[in-house]
Amino acid sequence: MSDVVTLVLTHAQDHALVADCIVPDRFAALTTKEIAALRVTHGGRPAQLGDFFTVTGARSTSVRVAGSLERVEGIGTAMAGGDILIDGAVGPDLGLGMAGGRIDVRGAAGDNAGGARPGAAKGMTGGEIIIRGSVGDGAGAHMRRGLLVVVGDGGRGMGAGMIAGTVVLFGSAGPGAGRFLKRGSIVALGTIERPATFRYACTYRPPHVNLLLRYLRTHAGVPVTDRYVTGRYERYSGDLAELGKGEILQWAGE
Amino acid sequence: MKINGVVIDDTFAEAFTMRVARIVITGRTMRWAREAALKLTGFATSVIACKCEAGIERELAPAETPDGRPGVSVLFLTMDKESLPKQLIVRIGQTVLTCATTACFDGLPDVPDRLTVGKALRVFGDGFQASKVIGGKRYWRIPVMEGEFLIEETFGMQKGVGGGNFLILAEDAEAALAAAEAAVDAMTNQPGVILPFPGGVVRSGSKVGSRRYKGMVATTNDPFAPTLRAMTKSQVPEGVNSVLEIVLDGTDAPSIEAAMRLGIPAACRPGVRTITAGNYGGKLGPHHFHLRRIMSDVA
Repeated sequence: MSDVVTLVLTHAQDHALVADCIVPDRFAALTTKEIAALRVTHGGRPAQLGDFFTVTGARSTSVRVAGSLERVEGIGTAMAGGDILIDGAVGPDLGLGMAGGRIDVRGAAGDNAGGARPGAAKGMTGGEIIIRGSVGDGAGAHMRRGLLVVVGDGGRGMGAGMIAGTVVLFGSAGPGAGRFLKRGSIVALGTIERPATFRYACTYRPPHVNLLLRYLRTHAGVPVTDRYVTGRYERYSGDLAELGKGEILQWAGE
Repeated sequence: MKINGVVIDDTFAEAFTMRVARIVITGRTMRWAREAALKLTGFATSVIACKCEAGIERELAPAETPDGRPGVSVLFLTMDKESLPKQLIVRIGQTVLTCATTACFDGLPDVPDRLTVGKALRVFGDGFQASKVIGGKRYWRIPVMEGEFLIEETFGMQKGVGGGNFLILAEDAEAALAAAEAAVDAMTNQPGVILPFPGGVVRSGSKVGSRRYKGMVATTNDPFAPTLRAMTKSQVPEGVNSVLEIVLDGTDAPSIEAAMRLGIPAACRPGVRTITAGNYGGKLGPHHFHLRRIMSDVA
């Protein structure tokens, strides 16, 4: 057993490398050799994790992943616990359908982070994803529970079809954010293009946003300034074309 | 044993095991946090009639509270497990939920025994309430006319101690009151301790049952009532004309002892003859606070 399992990508990939076997709670029971033997898909062909990553450590729920990971997909799929620290940018499908634990990306992430697996009705159902760069399209789509934080900008359709949970976006959101949202919150600290089916409710200081941003600052090291923590937010209820119990909370100043 | 010429009786206070919760109330300003805490802890002096005992433990600086606002920590005690959540739900619902700007947090987060107080109060939201999980804890957002009331879903409950006490026997009422006030000032803001009676002081200490009325659970402590010295089995020494009691409840016995260690010397002032304590012969309560042992390093 070691404190952490470290995976270092040996070289940048020309093809998509589906590495949905990188799941901390799964690593908890595996030796270094067993982790290296886990199945991945490279360019549509089966391969082993050890063919692409240098693996050190064993039997730990803390995982560090490094290298040029822009073509690496599906890290943290369905994880239920533990933590993954990704040192740099990462490809699409990060934390698909995850149920617990934390993924911390020290860079950008591709499409569909925290989203649903193909054909699934629910995206992430718990846990936390913190992306310290920007994120691609469809981040947090159909999420059922959990927390997705994007320190950079969001792509199209962020939080679309959310069933519950919370998305915090520090940068600007692309079009279609929150569309078909049933419940759940999108906290927009930057600009956001709201669907026409959201209706303004009021401007106030939501107490849970205060608590949430303090938590991110204290426990996740996200640099949140006080103006956001104690600021006023415009509340837009929606999507009124759906259940309408969700909200977009847009920062409105101090 | 004497402190400043005041006799410390060779006796002990007898206290009981109770169930305790710590409630942290925050507000936009300390004024509003305190307003809610005062209402919440109102009519909570003794389990004899109030069914709970509560008091303000201490005021909290913004850096000490979950939401970075000024706050007040309250301890809440009942005799059994079942009545604590009932009391909290009713009282928080009527005094904290209603109080402008406040939020309500659990002050015993590491305790495994959880009371679903926030979960019960969420229904005030009539279906418009929403929950958020932050850092593994669930909070309920209850929409109210002001905006939103935020309350933690569960609150910790642990065993506590109720009924720690000492009595101040003084030459006159003025000296007794001055000594009691000094003791309360010395014990205020002690962690893990509350003084549930008005101003921290009890003038009407009671004995169990009644000599005359069968239905009475508690009646006047006639052995310590100076006006009855000539007509009852009095414990009021000659020269003593007024007695006041300090009652202490807490999260644990060491916290109560630490507070007594501060309060008793503060009460040893001119005009005070004796410090003693109330007990039932040691047969009822498992916690015995021996005055001379507690004060051994002070005297």
